[in-house]
Amino acid sequence: MSQLYEIKLRIEAKIQADKLDANEVKGKIGLRAGKLLAFISADTPDDPATVTKLKQAAKDVLNLAL
Amino acid sequence: MQWNSIRTKVLAALLACLTVGVGGILALMHYSFERNSQALAAESITGAQKLFSILETREISKMTAVGDTLAMNPQVRDAFAAKDRARLLDLTAPLYPQLKSEGITNWMFHTPEPDMVVFLRLHNSPKFGDALNRFFDKQVARTHAMVTGNELAKAGFAVRIIQPFYDAQGVVTGYVEMGEELGQFIHTMKSQTGSDYGLLLNKKFMDRQFWADSSKVWKRRDNWDDNPGFVVADKTSASDSIFRFQGNLATVPEQGEVLERFQDGDSVFVRGIFPVRDAAGNTVGAMFVVRDISSFYLAMRRTQRVLVLLTIVALALGTIAVLTLLTRLIFRRLDHIVVVATRVVGGDYKSEIHVSSDDEVGQFEQLFEQFRRVFVDVLEHVPELQQK
Repeated sequence: MSQLYEIKLRIEAKIQADKLDANEVKGKIGLRAGKLLAFISADTPDDPATVTKLKQAAKDVLNLAL
Repeated sequence: MQWNSIRTKVLAALLACLTVGVGGILALMHYSFERNSQALAAESITGAQKLFSILETREISKMTAVGDTLAMNPQVRDAFAAKDRARLLDLTAPLYPQLKSEGITNWMFHTPEPDMVVFLRLHNSPKFGDALNRFFDKQVARTHAMVTGNELAKAGFAVRIIQPFYDAQGVVTGYVEMGEELGQFIHTMKSQTGSDYGLLLNKKFMDRQFWADSSKVWKRRDNWDDNPGFVVADKTSASDSIFRFQGNLATVPEQGEVLERFQDGDSVFVRGIFPVRDAAGNTVGAMFVVRDISSFYLAMRRTQRVLVLLTIVALALGTIAVLTLLTRLIFRRLDHIVVVATRVVGGDYKSEIHVSSDDEVGQFEQLFEQFRRVFVDVLEHVPELQQK
């Protein structure tokens, strides 16, 4: 399982736990990271730059430290 | 609040307009007040000059009438022709108190030229025999016609007439002179106009000791040292500060001069000065005019406050209206586009942008909705997403 996919799962878990609007939150994170979360799957290859951007976006939007 | 938002910029622009508007009103009101107070001061000077001239003419007419009446009285005429001082005093002394109550404080008979001395002073009968050698005396001796005008004596300033006195044969037997203190004019002027006046006399034409002596006689404070070039002979206000003058009386222009506006306590005054000349044409004094413009000043301040308040209210309402319009026409619709775009990226492909108008933002909404449809169509054809 790639690191990107792991981050995606953590984000979805947080959304579910906080009962947030999934489309809105994923949209904000996707726009900040420059990556559609829908495109990230278990076998998506890790790209260090994208991983960093996605972590920062999750921190900014959800205050989620990854 | 975001400092770089359009809302903040518009608000800043409107606040700048408010500041400029209020500043403009204050400047305009100040300018208007300056102009009007100058005009009021100029008007006061002109009015005072006219009134002074009218009073001079009126008093000269009065004294001329008295002189003519005396000249027609054979007993007075004969007593003067005979140079019978005691008889002349008996005949005229009963008239003096009445004339004095009418303002004629000086009354003299002069012998004819060449010696031309004071034969009788009704206002100071023990004193006689002195020669005055004034412009008046020389002029009337030269022309044998009545001379009128202002004369600054050692201790005071008076409007005077001097006219020849003839015997039954038409020979000049001497002259009769009457005078009124100009200082009393200013009280009449104050009662008619409400302004305050001060009569300033040039020290150059006065005698220091005589002024000190006359101050004792009239029980007034000896104010000789109050000002370097002039003395305040009389004034209608108890305040000395409103008659401050640093200039030179000799250089005051004929039409008068508006001086600076000043405040004394809660009152605001405009001041002016015009020259007073003697019969020989010398500027021997000046009349100070002080007009209280407090009511005008207060009215201006009230108008200023109302205008400032109205400007603030108008611009505040304008600001609210502009921001409401911007919010409805632009900001809210842009927010909607941002929300839809975000949701689409988040996976909600059914969110749509509703085109609410065909204005500039509406055209952008339409363009973005078309772009969203293309984007969603692309996503729907991505194999990775189709598998999910």
